Amino acid sequence: MEITLKIAQLDSSVRTGLAVLLRMTKKRTRLCLGILALFASAIVAHAAETVPPKPDRYFNDYAGVVSPGAAQRFNEQLAQFERETSNQIVVAVWRTMPSQSSIEDFSQRTFQAWQVGQKGRNNGVVFFVFVADHRMRIQPGYGLEGALPDITCNEIIRDAVAPRFRANDFEGGLAAGIDLIFKAIRGEYKGSGKTVRESGSTQSKPAGLLIFFFVLVIFLLAIRASRRLGGYRYTGGGGPFVSGNWGSGGGWSSGGGGFGGFSGGGGSSGGGGASGSW
Amino acid sequence: MNKGLIGCLGIGAIILFVVLVGGCAVAGSYNRLVGLQQKVDQSWAQVQNVYQRRADLIPNLVNTVQGAANFEKSTLTEVTNARASVGRVQIDPNHAPVDAAKLQEFQQAQGQLSNALSRLLVVSERYPELRATQNFQNLQAQLEGTENRISVERGNFNSAVQEYNTAVRTFPTNLFAGMFGFQPRPFFEAQAGAEKPPTVNFNFGSPAPAPATTPATTP
Repeated sequence: MEITLKIAQLDSSVRTGLAVLLRMTKKRTRLCLGILALFASAIVAHAAETVPPKPDRYFNDYAGVVSPGAAQRFNEQLAQFERETSNQIVVAVWRTMPSQSSIEDFSQRTFQAWQVGQKGRNNGVVFFVFVADHRMRIQPGYGLEGALPDITCNEIIRDAVAPRFRANDFEGGLAAGIDLIFKAIRGEYKGSGKTVRESGSTQSKPAGLLIFFFVLVIFLLAIRASRRLGGYRYTGGGGPFVSGNWGSGGGWSSGGGGFGGFSGGGGSSGGGGASGSW
Repeated sequence: MNKGLIGCLGIGAIILFVVLVGGCAVAGSYNRLVGLQQKVDQSWAQVQNVYQRRADLIPNLVNTVQGAANFEKSTLTEVTNARASVGRVQIDPNHAPVDAAKLQEFQQAQGQLSNALSRLLVVSERYPELRATQNFQNLQAQLEGTENRISVERGNFNSAVQEYNTAVRTFPTNLFAGMFGFQPRPFFEAQAGAEKPPTVNFNFGSPAPAPATTPATTP
């Protein structure tokens, strides 16, 4: 039953959109260019609808089932693991699934959106738990399907995590799950000693932000200069404003380096892994 | 005389400019089409990979299930037959099919196997001692993982084809795409009846109700 359902996971509105799109292009391609673009953007918007935003940390407890101290400890463990092995593991605990589709479909789309794992190695793993739904999933990227095959994921869930969750020991279950994933995939790749966030190589955002602030500063300076030329006298009104902007900009781009912040490395997944319930 | 020459030169320069710009545009679109087509073929190879992975699991599954005391024979032969008919569909694993009928045939064979397998899993619910074995649980995990991989790779293939087809069919690329042999490619369609939820029988008293999944009916 589950299998036939899963075969066609494209949801129906996207499918009909595609069908309409193709029928139209067959007939009058040139006339329909605009409508086509509209449809394409609608499909993209639809597909991106239910993916939660990329987290800032490796361990994300949105359900509040573990203590802040333990969450901090897990996060640091996961960051340290990336430094040592370059494998990125992201753990997220929700109360319910933030999507209407299946757990497999949700995990796949979220994995792709968060880009867990290094580009080229595809060595990411996501471990998702939905507390109220009593469901969880471990899904590796393409590069870890060998070290963390479906059977292993299934065994970790069934034998180590689910029994503890059943006893309401979420901290213990998560710790056991994380530990077993570590054991399975350690040694598959060598790390560089730094996380993606710490080496800051794939982040283009700060550069863009710096350029933006640079342009802003020049713009503001130009306004000030022109006003001064025009006879208006500003006594320090713009000065603090400009320097304040600079300060916050610098702080933003360098923030999050020290305490195990997560940045996706560009990895992708082919839908392996296992789901389980408790 | 002099003026005419300059005029001719000017017109010549304009024509040369137009030809150059047009040539660059055509070359650019051509290269883009080649890239998109390669992406389609690549994702097709992935699709073939995951289907092959599933086919490879079946002998092991059949052996495991056969070991269970008096397991329903008809379900097993159905799986074996579907597996065999999948093998009979000759299709190039490295190049995505151009012919929609060919893809349809492939999809139909694989769909039959999917149905047979899901029926087998449903039937296996009636054999608790079989489901409790380590071997069966492992196979089930692998089968589920593979089915999910299939749906992921099919989705990737469809979006690659969609991007390619859009490029082939939109202006101005469509003016010369056919000339260079870039044909629109067919993609996977949702199975008939997949959008409907499967029927569930609550016949607890009578033994062996009809299989819960509806057989494949292709349009």
